[in-house]
Order: sequence, then C-alpha cells, then structure tokens
Amino acid sequence: MTLKRAVRLLSIPVLAIFLALVVGAVLMILSSPLINGLDPGLPLSAYAALVSGAFGSPDALVQTVVSATPLILAGLAVGIGFKAGLFNIGGQGQFLVGAVAAAAVGAAVSTAGGVVAIPLALLAGVVAGAAYGFIPGFLKAYTGAHEVVTTIMLNYVAIQMVGYLITGPLRAQGATFARSPSVGNAALPVLFGSNGHLGVLFAVIAVPIAWWLLFRTTIGFEVRTVGASPDAARYAGMRPRLVMMLTLAVGGLLAGLAGAGEILGISGYMPAGYSTNVGFDGITVALLGRANPIGILLSGLLLGAMRAGSNLMQIQAGVPVQVIDVLQGVILFFLAAELLVRRIFRIRAARVQVDELQTVTRSYSSQTPK
Amino acid sequence: MRKPRYGLGAGAVAASIILAACQGGGAGNSTSGSSSTPSTSAGPSNSLKIGLVTDVGTLDDKNFNQFSWEGAKKGAADIGAPAPKSVVTTASADYAKNIKSFVDQKFDIIVTVGFALGNDTTKAAKANPGIKFIGVDQGVCVTEQGEPDPSFGCKGDGAKLLPNYQGLVFKEAQPGYLAGIVAGSISKSGHIAAIGGTKVVPAVANYMAGYANGAAKVNPNVKVELQYVSDQPDAKAFNDPAGGKAFAEQLLAKNKDVDVLFQVAGKTGNGVLQAACNANIHAIGVDVDQHLSTPESAKCIVTSAEKKLTKAVSDAIKRVSEKTDKGGTVPLDITTDSIGLAPFYDFQNLITPEIQTRIDDAMKGLKDGSVDPCKPMKCS
Repeated sequence: MTLKRAVRLLSIPVLAIFLALVVGAVLMILSSPLINGLDPGLPLSAYAALVSGAFGSPDALVQTVVSATPLILAGLAVGIGFKAGLFNIGGQGQFLVGAVAAAAVGAAVSTAGGVVAIPLALLAGVVAGAAYGFIPGFLKAYTGAHEVVTTIMLNYVAIQMVGYLITGPLRAQGATFARSPSVGNAALPVLFGSNGHLGVLFAVIAVPIAWWLLFRTTIGFEVRTVGASPDAARYAGMRPRLVMMLTLAVGGLLAGLAGAGEILGISGYMPAGYSTNVGFDGITVALLGRANPIGILLSGLLLGAMRAGSNLMQIQAGVPVQVIDVLQGVILFFLAAELLVRRIFRIRAARVQVDELQTVTRSYSSQTPK
Repeated sequence: MRKPRYGLGAGAVAASIILAACQGGGAGNSTSGSSSTPSTSAGPSNSLKIGLVTDVGTLDDKNFNQFSWEGAKKGAADIGAPAPKSVVTTASADYAKNIKSFVDQKFDIIVTVGFALGNDTTKAAKANPGIKFIGVDQGVCVTEQGEPDPSFGCKGDGAKLLPNYQGLVFKEAQPGYLAGIVAGSISKSGHIAAIGGTKVVPAVANYMAGYANGAAKVNPNVKVELQYVSDQPDAKAFNDPAGGKAFAEQLLAKNKDVDVLFQVAGKTGNGVLQAACNANIHAIGVDVDQHLSTPESAKCIVTSAEKKLTKAVSDAIKRVSEKTDKGGTVPLDITTDSIGLAPFYDFQNLITPEIQTRIDDAMKGLKDGSVDPCKPMKCS
C-alpha cells in the first residue's frame, strides 16, 4: 500500500472524528449555561479530562484497552460481514447470547479448576454466538430473508430469551435480586493493572487472524468476491451461500466471544436486565475502521478510549457521559455523509475496492442469491 | 489544487484539541468548569471528596438517582465539603468501571445508587479499605472473607469485615402498608390496584405486598390487583412512561371499578399516574413526593409512599464526617423517620378524621413492631 493511498483511506475517518469533536465542542459551549454559566473554555477542559482519563495514567491505559476489547471484537463481527456485502446488525443479540451461555456454563463448572473451567465457559460463549449468527446466514442463503431485518429481530429475541433465562432456570438460589450464579473459577485471570483481564488478548489475537483470513486465504478471497458481486462470484465457481452463512456465523462467534469476555472477565455473573451498547457500537467501529481489521483495531481503541475517559470528563468538567454517544453519532453521520466531508475539506474520492458504506446503502435493495 | 479552507470555529477547536492533548497528563486540577460549590464564602471546612455513581438512567430522573444525588449534595453542604461529582451509568456493564474512576481519582466517599451495584460496590469496598462507600438499596451480604457471597448465605459480619461500607436498606413494605391503608379507606368500590415495574426487584415486591396487606387491614373484603409491567428490570419496567400509561389503561379497561391506583415503577409509573388522572381516579405515587416531582399528575395524586432518599444519603455522609459510621446493612424504617407518607395537599379533605386515626395507628404499630407489613402477603 502506498503512502498516498493510506492517506486517502484514512482521510475521511480522521476528518469525521475531527468534525465530530467540533460539533461536540459547540454543543458543550451552548449547553454550558445549564451547568455553571456560559463557559467557552469548557470543551478545552472536557477534552483534556477525556484524554487524561483515557491515557493519563497506567490505570487509565488499562481501562482504555479493557473498554476497547469488546468493541474491537464486535467491530470485527460487523466488519467481516461488510466484506461479504452483509450488514450484520445482530451484534447485540449475538453478544448477549454469548454472554448468557458463558455465564451458564461458567456457573456449572465454577468449582472445576480454572484450566478446565475457563476454556469450557469461553467455548460455550463462542459456540452460542456462532450458532446465533448462523441463523440469519442460513435464512439469507436459502430463503433470501434479508439479514438486516432478521438480525434486528433476533436482537429482540435474544433480549427476551436472556431475560427469561436469568429470571427463570439460571436464577441463582437465594439471590434477592435475580442474577445468574457466580462463575467462580471460570473467571478470567487479571493479567495487568487492577482489571486488565485475559480477554484483552482475544481481541489482540483476533485482529491478525481476521486480517490473515480475509486477505491471505482462499475463503477470504471468496468472501471479498461475494461482497463485490455475488453473481460474478457464482459464475467463477464460488459458493455465495456457504460464504454468507460462514461470514455471519464467524461474526456471531466474535460477538459471542466479546460477550463471554465481559461476563467472565468483568462482572463474574450475569444480572437480570444486563445492558450494554457494545453490539451497536460495533457498527460504528466497523464503519470508522473501513471494515479493515487493522482499521477496526484502531477505531476500537479510539472508542474504547472515549468510553474510558468519559468518566473523568464528567467528574472534572461536569460534562455528561452522554456527550460520548453524541460524538459517536456525529462520527457515524459524517462517515455516512462522506460527500459532505469531502466538500468541507475539498478532497477527492478515494478509490476503494469494496466500499463498506455501499454495503450499508445497498443492503436496502434486493440482493438475493439465486 | 486549492487549499482546504477551515472555518473559524474548526480552527479554534483544533487548537483546543491540541492544547487538550498537551495538558492531558496533568489535568487533574483543571478547575475551569467545576466551581459551583455553594459554600465557597467560608471556604470548604471539610476536604472530603464525594462522588456518586448512578444506576442506569439519568441524573434528573425525578426519582431514585435524582433524590440520592440531592442527598449527596445536601450531605456535602451540611459538612462543608466541596460539591459532589457524579458519573451517570449508561449500561449496567459499566458499574465496576464507573466506581473505579472515583477510586482512581482518590475520592473519599463514593455513593452508589441501586441494588444492582451492590456486588461491585462490595468488591470495591474490600479492595479499598481507606475509601468510604455508601450503597443505596444495598444489603451487605458477604462471606467470612468479606467477599460478595456467591451463595447468598451472608455469613460474614459486614460491620466488621467491611467497616467502610454502609448499605442503606429501606423497609419498603412499611410505606407500602401505609399507602394500602389510604387506598383501602378511600376506595368506594373496594377494588384497588397497584402496578409494579418488575417482581424481580425486591423493593418493588415489598412495596406491593405492604400495599395489599394495608388495604386488607382496613377492608377485609378489598380486591387488590397487583400487576407487573415487565419480567425483568429493564427499560420497560422503569424507564418507559408511554408503556406504563398503556399498561395502566389496559388494566383499568379490564377492571372498570378500580378507583385507586398505586405505582411502583419509577418513570414507567409516571405514565401510570397519567392514566389514572385521565380515568379520573385516585393515584398514589412512590419513592418520593410525586405531587412535587410530577406536577403534571398532581391533580390526582392523593399521596406518595416515600423512601426519604435525600435524608438517608445525607445522613450517611454526615456519619462519615463525624466518624460515627458503622459498616454493614443500615436498616432504614419508620423508627428513624426514613419512610412515610407524603402530604395530602389538595386531598386533605378526603382524609376524614377516621382515616387519619387508622394511619396514625398503623404508624404507631409499625414503630413498636406490633404491626407486620409483610403479613399475610409475604414480602420477598
């Protein structure tokens, strides 16, 4: 990859982030009278606190990496789908199913040794996530049911299913507040800092594996070809149906791993009403990272840093954490409205092989394999 | 090629971002946006730093988070400490992270709001014996090692093992019971109802049981509908006024003679109150004085079953400041004036001397223990 091409690829995401920070700053100044009176310096102190909260100390750095871990995995789950021309909005459901499976199996083997318990619980999360991702893949391949619709619907199914399991069969005996039993020895060991758990390594390992699979293997080539043109892929003797099912299952696997990592690495059990935004944030991560594993690593770290630093921003500058959601939304907006960004900064379009944004827009038209 | 043009604002912000990045490491004492301490005239006489982590939701929820936050502010002002800081939780996966950010910033008192944060607060209290923790709605349940008890046997002595952790637990059945006395007395049809967020939350189930028992006490033939909006403590249960309104409308359509409706569902319940107002029946609020917190429904709110959150939190902070705090579960009930009924306001004339006597008797009975609000219907 030439330097010029790298700059072109990076320009839109970087400028989108920049514009989002500008919008965020304007919002902060406009809303500052509600906090302490009009304060034009508020964005300065808020962003300073954000940066300090994300990178200012070893503890902060660990928190950034820990927060980024599920985002990177969920981002890969969506990004791999983009490469095959599939828009997987089911990360949230796959995450929850993986989390509840890991919580259930973790609790069942909680008294076994960690060497046995940890792999079993993780495996449960991964298998459950993959199976849950396979469903929309199968429906798409054999019935043409659109994955955008099915994955969204399956998110709700997952929420209700998890709610039933935690308040019903999985409910810990004696707990006044419904939750699953403790995972005991299946909890992931803390490797660094006060909460840098083993799960961080999964993200670190998943990125090069995903890159290698996509760009250095035959199946990866098939995935990308199907993404570019399912018909051409079929004429070339490839198997679009298999690729669709495989890609969505692998996406589910990654999202399930993210869910398992959060339960086994952080909370140690699953409470009723467990809520997270990781599945949906994964879409932002994938788009910002241009569906490239390395880009997803970087954008996952960026969003993780924002999540990690947002607390200090609130503590020191009094700016509510919801500002981070606004920033994320605005980043997405500018990524989608790429033309707007090009106009503002007067840059020419970069030529990309498969544009993941095309996937997002194209996925609303019919694209059924024959 | 023309040069890209940047707007003025963009340039300024670029500068601010760069500056921000430069001073990132040493931003610990950035004061530009945080000087709202009311007692600056005398200067804070107390240097305790107080932080509060909310449950999922917002700081101005007119309910649990907000009134705990008021308590933290009042507590800080009362002891002359700087104004407290808050972190709002947006997803339950973040509890531990949010508590940790106050620990990392070396705060002296950390208030965590809601039963769901109990496990993470216990862990943090164990790991940071030098920091005082106040858990709202959190019974302290630990093993003999002071860890969160995975079997819920609560064998460990919280006061000894975690002297730095006060778990504030309200006896919700008591205000529920008083609300039931009122509802049973003012109902003409003898058919009343209560809508709870979810049975899974003990506080909700206790309010409901107390309500049914109180109503049965004054009218043994009363019919009480107890219904729950959701199976789990989700947004539908506590954060969905429109859903609560629809749920209540449905209940009222099925039970046309219900003439008193008690809500135990947070913000969802605010919709329940609206439905009661629209149906021209009496409503009873929960947790806080809803005549004040939800003025749009004040015209039909007879009273509210109150948990005095603000007082409880500020008292707990005062105990820390005076060094009289003890760890373990701090039960809060009518004997310490921590629960009660809100004023009747415009409905004072509805409360006849006879009804007032019933309420007074019930309060006396709850105080001396002769009345058990968890009988005959059991609390959770």
